[in-house]
Amino acid sequence: MIIIRGIGWIKPTEYGSILKKLQGNYNELKSLHSRLLQESVLRYPIKNFGRFDDSSKMTCCSIALALNDAGITYSNSTKNDIGVLGTNDNGCIKSNLSYFKDYVASGRIMARGNLFIYTLPSTPMAEAAIYFGFQGPLLYVKFQVNQIPSMLRFAGKMILREETSKMIAVEASEEKAVCFVLDKKNDASNMQTLFLEDILDITEKISDFDEMIEMLKRKVKM
Amino acid sequence: MTGTKAVVVACDIVTPYGWGIDSCWNGLLSEKTAIKRFDRFPTESFLTQTAAVVPGLTYGQDESLIMGMLKPLLQKNISSIPEDAFLILATTTGEIDKLERHVLTGGTDAAGSRPDKLLKKILLLCRLNSPGIVISAACASSSIAVAQAAGMIISNERDCVIVVACDSVSEFVFAGFSSLMALDKDMAKPFDRDRNGLSLGEASGFLLLMSESRALRENRPVIGEIAGWGLTNDANHMTGPSRDGSGLAMAIRKALKSANVSEKNIGCFSAHGTGTIYNDSMEIKALRAVFGNHKVPVYSIKGGTGHTLGAAGLLEIIIAFESLNKKIVPPTVNLCNIDNEASGWVSSEPLTLDGSVTISTNSGFGGVNCAVVLKKW
Repeated sequence: MIIIRGIGWIKPTEYGSILKKLQGNYNELKSLHSRLLQESVLRYPIKNFGRFDDSSKMTCCSIALALNDAGITYSNSTKNDIGVLGTNDNGCIKSNLSYFKDYVASGRIMARGNLFIYTLPSTPMAEAAIYFGFQGPLLYVKFQVNQIPSMLRFAGKMILREETSKMIAVEASEEKAVCFVLDKKNDASNMQTLFLEDILDITEKISDFDEMIEMLKRKVKM
Repeated sequence: MTGTKAVVVACDIVTPYGWGIDSCWNGLLSEKTAIKRFDRFPTESFLTQTAAVVPGLTYGQDESLIMGMLKPLLQKNISSIPEDAFLILATTTGEIDKLERHVLTGGTDAAGSRPDKLLKKILLLCRLNSPGIVISAACASSSIAVAQAAGMIISNERDCVIVVACDSVSEFVFAGFSSLMALDKDMAKPFDRDRNGLSLGEASGFLLLMSESRALRENRPVIGEIAGWGLTNDANHMTGPSRDGSGLAMAIRKALKSANVSEKNIGCFSAHGTGTIYNDSMEIKALRAVFGNHKVPVYSIKGGTGHTLGAAGLLEIIIAFESLNKKIVPPTVNLCNIDNEASGWVSSEPLTLDGSVTISTNSGFGGVNCAVVLKKW
């Protein structure tokens, strides 16, 4: 059986997590990074955070919130068999445009490698894998319907097929993100968790992001 | 797992060697490369003026390069594709030439370049009746897509999945790889001591997978079995592989375990073999870590086809099945002086294949690794 061990979320000026009921405000993504460091949600600074595209920043910060919610620690000297699956509405089209417009502005002579690396939809997950030390499967999947529940089901099945021990499932755009830590149920653990089926029930019924986060918060209070 | 087997019942490709599997296979066996000078867009300011492009495609027109490949390919094979097949599209940049045109001329909508838009076109083209998904994982996109397709079948979630893979040689991608100094000035020479980078290539293709029971029920000719896979990440660097090959070695070990086969059962090994100094060195280290002194024949097709990015995995799986069924290990094209590290592993000439199991691997930006175990049927 698959459980959800932690959930992190970010809105344009707010962030939080569900099980630990963490909540805070921020002005812009650089200050979010600083806030998460101050609160020890991020255990150490994310190298080169300033050059990340916004999707990568949101992905990394929401994963940090979800891992903190799940009580999972990490360090820059160890790696773990954890996979990461990402999704969103628009892939990396904003970064694609940013890279190609910059190249055209240069007279079509020289592209910038630092912009080019963000022209893959899987790059935000890769930045996260490098920072958190995730050695499991890494992929971006675009679902045509029911994006968040489809993502959760997909990630859960990868665990059940023993492709990895845990999965991070993250939906992140430039403005908002929600991240789930999926694991197999361990009867010996007394950590607070949620059942995947319960989360699927909420995410299937509610497509509005803000409303979904409120419902997830309420689920824990119940 | 359920005991259900995932088998390949149909496939086809278009590559820089031309249309069809035979043209690619024969091209590789001829030991001649399809990488050459091309004039699709100005390349004077880049590291190289060579790439491997599909002959006859038009660039900068209404139809994208990808649709120029996929439309004839899928239409030709439509009778073999069931309407209830679940579609997985694997690509890194999809119809990126649409975004180029938007920026360069103001024409078209940049959003038209999104892979999910391409997914819808393929659904219509193949007359499929259920929604599909896009999988993107850098240069391992289509090998991961094939692994996930097999997973859906083995876990009885689906009994028929089609994986469509594609990527093209565009100015967008060419300029990017040039900026990263990743291109060989001449042409890719995988596992050669004088290698100095990759050559870009383009390809499209599809692989139709079914459960063994459905394939038998429908009297489908079985090409081979996707027997296992392993997915890992280096968690190390965005554009360079882990130098010691440990991430890839872990993926190969996972794949062998999931297929329940020993490394001694492997008849040959289809490497990612891009021709970059670090990739090829990393792969040989991974092979040594897994296979020890048991040197299996290793080959890379990228000296012939160029690096076809998100399509590479699917293309290489199809060629690996050809290799199994024809009992020939293809030569590594453009290999002149074998790197000391790779000595005894790779060959510039075709070899007789002894065995019925092979592994195909891909690695990509962000440290992604995928190993897929293929069995002869």
